[in-house]
Amino acid sequence: MTSVGTPTSGPVPAAAPHAAAAGPSRLTTPPRRRGRVRPTTWAGLAFAAPLLAYLAVFYAYPLWTNVSMSLHRFTRATFVTGKAPYAGLDIYREVISSPQFWPTVRQTAIFVVVSLVFQYAIGLALAEFFRRAFPLSTVLRGLFLVPWLLPIIVSATTWQWMMDADSGIINRFLGVVGIDPVWWLNADHALMSVTIANIWLGIPFNLVVLYSGLQNIPGELYEAASLDGAGAWKQFWTITFPLLRPVTAITLLLGFVYTLKVVDIIWIMTFGTGTSQTLATWAYAMAFGKGSSAVIKYSEASVVGTILLLVALLMGFVYLFVQRRQED
Amino acid sequence: MFSTSSTQRVTGLAAAAALVTVLAACSSNGTSGSTTDTGTSGSGSTLSTVNVWDPYPQYDDSSDWAKYLQTCAPSGVTLKRTTAATADLLNNLTTAVKAGNAPDVIMLDNPAVPDAASSGLLAPASDVGIDTSGFDANLAGPGTVDGTAYGVPIGANTLGLYYNEAILTKDGVDPASITSWDGLNAALAKVKQAGDKGITFSGITGEEGVFQFLPWFWGAGANLKDIGSDQAVAAGQLVSDWIGKGYAPKSAITDNQSASWDLFLTGKYAFAENGSWFAQAAAKLTDFKAVAVALPGKDGGAAPVPTGGEFVLAPLQNKDSAAHYALAKQVINCLVGADNQVKTATQLGYFAANKDLRAQQIASDPVWKPWAAAIEAAQGRTTDLGADYTATSANLSTALQGALNAAGDASKVKDAFTQAAQG
Repeated sequence: MTSVGTPTSGPVPAAAPHAAAAGPSRLTTPPRRRGRVRPTTWAGLAFAAPLLAYLAVFYAYPLWTNVSMSLHRFTRATFVTGKAPYAGLDIYREVISSPQFWPTVRQTAIFVVVSLVFQYAIGLALAEFFRRAFPLSTVLRGLFLVPWLLPIIVSATTWQWMMDADSGIINRFLGVVGIDPVWWLNADHALMSVTIANIWLGIPFNLVVLYSGLQNIPGELYEAASLDGAGAWKQFWTITFPLLRPVTAITLLLGFVYTLKVVDIIWIMTFGTGTSQTLATWAYAMAFGKGSSAVIKYSEASVVGTILLLVALLMGFVYLFVQRRQED
Repeated sequence: MFSTSSTQRVTGLAAAAALVTVLAACSSNGTSGSTTDTGTSGSGSTLSTVNVWDPYPQYDDSSDWAKYLQTCAPSGVTLKRTTAATADLLNNLTTAVKAGNAPDVIMLDNPAVPDAASSGLLAPASDVGIDTSGFDANLAGPGTVDGTAYGVPIGANTLGLYYNEAILTKDGVDPASITSWDGLNAALAKVKQAGDKGITFSGITGEEGVFQFLPWFWGAGANLKDIGSDQAVAAGQLVSDWIGKGYAPKSAITDNQSASWDLFLTGKYAFAENGSWFAQAAAKLTDFKAVAVALPGKDGGAAPVPTGGEFVLAPLQNKDSAAHYALAKQVINCLVGADNQVKTATQLGYFAANKDLRAQQIASDPVWKPWAAAIEAAQGRTTDLGADYTATSANLSTALQGALNAAGDASKVKDAFTQAAQG
């Protein structure tokens, strides 16, 4: 098991110094002949082939198509003929300089950050709350999973009804308390409304992951801490929170990616109108000629899609960096 | 040592993956014109299946419409119906034509026809052999793009003003007084004063909301070539005031036409702007009596209304085109030929698009009577602009959303239209 590939393939020269560095332990390995691939390597490749083919067809090819689409000027007509003219980075420039771009980025950032902060804080508080077993705690914990189990079309439509400006239950409740009714789904308030619904939707995920993380913290630590006279608040900040950090990192990363790509709940509630337009709903509207973008804009949608991918990728690297630092 | 060999393995796999990717990309670009499921071989052969796409997912395979459609299958040929939402059908057609497996017949929403035709998705009617004569010019208009006719209307519908007779009687509103915007606004004020609700309409973003806005837009004297005009702003102000004064529900910004109809069916609203396709359902209501009248123009008289309904067309075929077009011609002639045109239209709740046949249809069912004049005066949405209508409609939709959100604020309504006019 040394290396694979023909002399012309890229990775070999890069891998060679490593092999040289590991030289002393490889004395038993016979010198590799140019252009020969060992039979065991072929066998290994054969076993990996189905996975590779799957990755290529369902991941690499669509990604490549997306990037290619963002570099060619596609209209409905050129999409059919496949003869879209190459535009280089022009479409990127157009999208970024369009008056919609920066407001949409700002709204996306607010949607993601506010959603994550509240989902995590509420999820952690609930996880901590359910840690002490009490009568019916399992049933209650189960009930908190309901938002996760409901189809989004159901929960989003229900939120839309509840937030109806004229006859919604939220405004009726506000009326009882003496607060003026709010037009939840208008252009100005749309972002707040969809964020509230999305927070509600994300709490169960945070609760479940953080709850299982809490289970892995040894109880003796708390016993020792309480013997040393640490109160509940101090115990949380000095034991629970630091020991939960790896779980926190993965929860926030997954939450970030899930939230960044949210289209469904926003689309069902407001069709991405007003301030509720995020990069994801904008890309969806342009890619399918829906909502406020009646004209189909394949290339512009691909540009936004590529930007979203890069942001998600960046967060993946941040996660890897944080994880490595924790391991050290 | 372990990490070194695993690094090499990973890089090796990555190289292999890249290779497979390139191969996959090449092969998918190389194979054009995939096989169809019609079992054809060679040119000039006969096909055993005719594929028909329609935008009526509300009718499943056991519905009257699906059964009726089957009666138009040419003898010895299986008719395969596929249905998708109106908003998706044009996109589905785009990918199908690209992949070389377009259906033989498609029923496409009329404002989508110029876009489809100019994108090269449709076969000219003369190539297919569709008879385009005998249809009313205003209804058949959207089927002709740059002088070439592509298809014919499967039927037509339009918008009108429904009112709840019980509420109007109770609140002392004379329906005959609603002949202008002032008359309508006065009626709405009176109804609101009496504690009832005003009017439901659909202001949803996209084409559906624009369709409902056009009677007010045109009724104010505005033209689609200038959506920033004072007349356009006046129309925006009208619907904006309805929201601001509480005549119309705030949910109008997200309601589609079915949702706004459901609100009217609660019996709490005095008026509803909605389509002739609900006329039969309205006649059967038992809770209250719903009556349809023409939508009023700004200064009196009936407002020009947009034509609705689908066109029946033959998508472009690159392979076995003669055989595909021959089947398409038979199905289309069966659906909209003189013998069946009224039957087809009635199945869908539409009007026949031929004047004489429509006269028979209206004579046979009194439900249609209030709509007769409106359908004759209706205008095609794409008649002025052709394929450019799609972009203008998107801008008008943005302006309409802005106006509704302004809830009566005149300066915001004006800004919404001025900005939208700039694109």
